[in-house]
Formats: sequence, C-alpha cells, structure tokens
Amino acid sequence: MDLVDPANRPSRKAPLVWAIGAAIPWLMLALGQVVWLVVDGGLVWAHLAAAAVTAVGMAVFVIVVPLWRYRVHRWDISSQAVYTRSGWLVQERRIAPISRVQTVDTYRGPLDRLFGLANVTVTTASSAGAVRIVALDSAVADRVVGQLTDIAAIGAEDAT
Amino acid sequence: MTERVWHRLSPRMLLVHPVHEVLRQIPLLVGAVVVGSATGNSWWTVAIVALTIAFGVLRWFTTTYRIETDEVQLRTGVLQRKVVSLPRNRIRSVQTDARLLHQLLGLTVLRVSTGQQVRGDTEFALDAVRVEEVPRLRSILLADSLAAADQAEAQAPGRQLARWQLSWLRYSPLSFTGLAMILAAVGVTYQAGLGAILEHSRLAESGRDAAQRFGVVASVAVFGVVVVLASVGLSVLRSLVTFGNLTLRRDAEVLHLQHGLLRKREHTFDMRRLRGGTLRQPLLVRLLGGARLDAVMTGVAGAGEASLLLPPCPVRTAESVLTDLIADVNTVSGPVRGHGPAATRRRWTRGLVFPVVVAAGLVLAAAFVAVPPWAWIAVAALALTCALLAADRVRALGHRVDDRWLVARAGSLERRRDCIAAEGIIGWTVRQTFFQRRAGVATLIAATAAGVKHYQVIDVPAELSWSIAGTASPWVADSEWARS
Repeated sequence: MDLVDPANRPSRKAPLVWAIGAAIPWLMLALGQVVWLVVDGGLVWAHLAAAAVTAVGMAVFVIVVPLWRYRVHRWDISSQAVYTRSGWLVQERRIAPISRVQTVDTYRGPLDRLFGLANVTVTTASSAGAVRIVALDSAVADRVVGQLTDIAAIGAEDAT
Repeated sequence: MTERVWHRLSPRMLLVHPVHEVLRQIPLLVGAVVVGSATGNSWWTVAIVALTIAFGVLRWFTTTYRIETDEVQLRTGVLQRKVVSLPRNRIRSVQTDARLLHQLLGLTVLRVSTGQQVRGDTEFALDAVRVEEVPRLRSILLADSLAAADQAEAQAPGRQLARWQLSWLRYSPLSFTGLAMILAAVGVTYQAGLGAILEHSRLAESGRDAAQRFGVVASVAVFGVVVVLASVGLSVLRSLVTFGNLTLRRDAEVLHLQHGLLRKREHTFDMRRLRGGTLRQPLLVRLLGGARLDAVMTGVAGAGEASLLLPPCPVRTAESVLTDLIADVNTVSGPVRGHGPAATRRRWTRGLVFPVVVAAGLVLAAAFVAVPPWAWIAVAALALTCALLAADRVRALGHRVDDRWLVARAGSLERRRDCIAAEGIIGWTVRQTFFQRRAGVATLIAATAAGVKHYQVIDVPAELSWSIAGTASPWVADSEWARS
C-alpha cells in the first residue's frame, strides 16, 4: 500500500515570501561584511573568502531552497484526515485523523500579512502529531479552518 | 464527593517544613556562620537561622487546598502567592512519595499528575498529608477514573505481578549512577568553596606524598580502582535503597507500584490509560539477560522515574509482566521483521565512518611524523568496537505490526522494544532525509498522546512504510489517498 501525494500546493507567492524571509538575515550578514571592509580593509583574502561564503549561502537559501520547498510542499484535507508533505532536504509526509484534532490555529507573521498569506496548524493530543499547512493564501486558509472546525467534533471526546 | 472548604495540610508539617527549609538554605546558612564568625557577632547566625525556621512555619499557614466538584485548587507561597487549579477530569494518576522525615511522622507527599508535563512550581503536590488520609484522597481525586474499577476490585482481589528479588541487584553495578553520584559530590564540594580547603588538608598532603613515593602510574591506577569500586558500591546501594521491596500489583483496572526502603513511593496507574510498554535493554544489562520496563501511558511522562514499572530485572520477568498488561504475547516477545539490506548497509556505513576517518587521519599523519605503534592498535580496537556495535544494531532493527499493536525494536547501547497500541496512534509521519531517499528507506513515526509522544520505526523500506501505518490504523488505509 502507498499514499499518493496530497493534491494542493501552497500559495504562488510562497517562494517569494520564503525568499524574502531568508534574505533578511543574509543581507544583515552582508552588511556586516561591508562595515568590516570599510573599518579594516587589510586581509584581502579573508574578505574574499567571507564574501564567497555569503554569496553561496545567499544563492542556496534565497533562491534554491524556496523553489525546492515549493516543489515539495503539498496539502490536502478529506472528511477523515489532514495530509501534508513538507521539507526540502529532509522531507516528511504527515497524516492525522480529523476525529482526533484538538485545536486549529492560524498564524500570520509580518511578512505573511504583507503578502496576504497564513499558516494553519492542526494540533492533536500528541505533541509529535501537529500538522502544519504553511503559506496558504488568506482566503484559502480561512476556508481550511472553517472546513476543519466543521468536520472535527472538537471536544466531543477525550481525543487521546 | 464535594468539599467546598479550604483544607490545611497535616499540622505535623510544622515540624518538617523548618527542617527542610534549613536544609534547603544550607548555602545561606554557611554564609551566615561565616559572617557571624568574621564579624564576631554571632547574632547574625542566630537571626538568619530563626528567619529560616519562621519561613518554614509560615509555609504551613500559607498552604491550603480544596477539592470541588469539577476542579482541585492549591494555594501556596509565603511572599509570592500562587494558585494551581486542575480540572478533575484531567487527573490521570496519583502518586505518593515519603522521605525519611515524612515517614517518621507518618506523612506522605501526594502528587497529582495530568496530561501535561509540568515544571516544579506548577505541579499539584500536597506536601504532606497523613498516610491514613491517602486512600480517601486518592479515591476522591481519581473518583472519575476509578469508580468502575472499584467495583471490579471488590470482585477480584489484587494480583501481584512482580516482586523485587535480591538477585536483581546483579544488574545495578553496571550502571553509571554511582559514577554520576561521585561526580555530583565532587562538583558540590567545589561549588561550596570547600575545594581549596580540601587541597590543603592532610588527606591531600598524604595523597601527594604517596604519589611521589609510588610513582604517578601506580597512583593513578590505585585512584581509578578506588573510584570504580566506590561507584559500583554506590550503584548497588542506591538501587537497593530505591527499589528494595518493590512490588507491582494489579487490581483489575488499576496498577499499584510501591518501592523504596528509606523513601517510600507509591504510584497508581489507571490501566485504561495504558497504551503499551517499552522494554529497555542497555547493553551491559542485556549481556546479563536483564531488561527494564517502562509504561506507555497518557498523562504520564514517557521517560524517567514517572513511567518506570520495573527496574533492571531478568528479561523473562519484564516480558511476563508486560504480557500480563497488554495481553498479547507475540507483541512482547514474538520475532520482528527486519528492515532489509538498505537499512543494514546504513547501519554499517554509520558505524564505520568514524573509525575510517580517524584511520585516514592517522595515515596522513604517518606521512609527516612518526606515529607510535599504540595509536594503530587503538584505531584497530576502535574499528572493531564500532563494527560489533553496527552488527548488533543490524540484529536489533525490526518491526512488527498488526491491527492492535505496533512493535519497533532498535538500538545496541540502548536497545528498546516499543510496544504501542494501534488505537492510541493519532498521527503518522514518514520522514526521509536526502540519504534515506537515495537508499529507498524512511523513518516512520507514530504519534501518540502517551509516553514519549512519538515512537520511531527506523529505516523501514520506503514502500513498506505506509503499509505499516495502514495495518495499524484503518483510517490511513481507508483514506482517499491510499492506493494498493
């Protein structure tokens, strides 16, 4: 037996938001290096090495990883279960039954709000069983939350 | 049963609290004595001791609890007031624990545990109540979960599942508890500033003299032997004191665990919250045919003292107790299905990477400097140890699944066999790292509300992973994504 991949992709804006989120710390690092260059312009090889590391890191985390994650991330909801695929280097597929869902949370960070995205976390009684559907369009996220709370008989039983 | 009034703890705590307070504030009191002798004014010492004792007495006056229809509340704190409230239907188990002083006064600490993991200051502990009151309080607190069990208990008297035996002590010299205790003692000594005093003492002087007389190697050897002997002695002593007179009794749906010679502990488990058990076999215990048993329960922490059912004991005892609890002999001791060549290869690569890197480093070093022969022997020994460990890990790795139980076995230094009830599994994760994807294996993680919350089946062939999940959880097999 096998499980086919979940059907839905995250928002089209997801890679852009992830890229910006990753770019901020790398740009700070680059800025730090510029300051270092201005203050102490000696050691040319050290500056070059640091710049090379930053450039490679930036290329990987700002360009490659968001695109890679976008290719991997999928989600789906049926009347019985929530099913997601996530990750890039380490990939995981996670499924949880809706009858055992305890809470459904939405989280919108500053960048998410700017681009109209939302993340939905579905928790169960197990701390290892939370299912996260990240980077959804706000409207989709609202629909997902409504759908989940409708199906889930939250509080009907102990759910452990 | 409802009690609306606020209760105080046993008045005998008026004796215990000051003593505990003094013991807790020893660093402060040492400081007070130092200040007292330095200033020549011993009133400092007296005042601080008196203050500490008064504080202890105040603790009794400021601690009250009450049991209401739907929740229990505990108010504590002398300077910082605190109220801990627990909904009664969240109470999962009740534990008692009596230290020496408590025992002398016929008192015991009663702890209530819920599903959440609590830190020290939010736990609900009645410190302390009279021993005679415990059965009454326990039945009130657990009324919800034990009501049915009590009736069954009246029909079927309790059955003893296991009883501690002197022969179990043979597993304890092999633990590191003794060494840990010695290190802790050394740490405390130095932290208290006694290290400097000790270094100038006559004991240290005579030690240095001896070292000069017999040579460094002999002294180090003697020191090592002394430490090992002391650590073995302490380990055995600790396990005797902690687990001597352990009994595990089952009354229908309730499990009673009692142990401790000096500090008596009693733990009551509600069998309906049992979601399985873990047989743990640390390498050294396993070599002597031993095993320890942990309960996998909702509302009980998955590791450590809270979930312990049996300390290291003969593996047959542990297995028979677990069989009795989960009523499935194949789950406990039946053969497991191995994970195939890819998983085997991964055990070997992981085991041998470290010695190979060390050997390569040594070869590189040999090109430039003279490497002493013992280094080569050490690397060979390291490689052999790692190879043996890898082979043992390959042998251990396996799983077993049916529609009622999931069994995962793995590990060499810390071998464990997790037996998890399928109905308790509330989520599945199939995780693949980059290398796992290339090798065609995956780590299957079963999420439960019980025990350590997640139980792993490591490096299972990728195509098998969802079949295992589907076998244990029909809702996975019946989901719209399942394809056969």
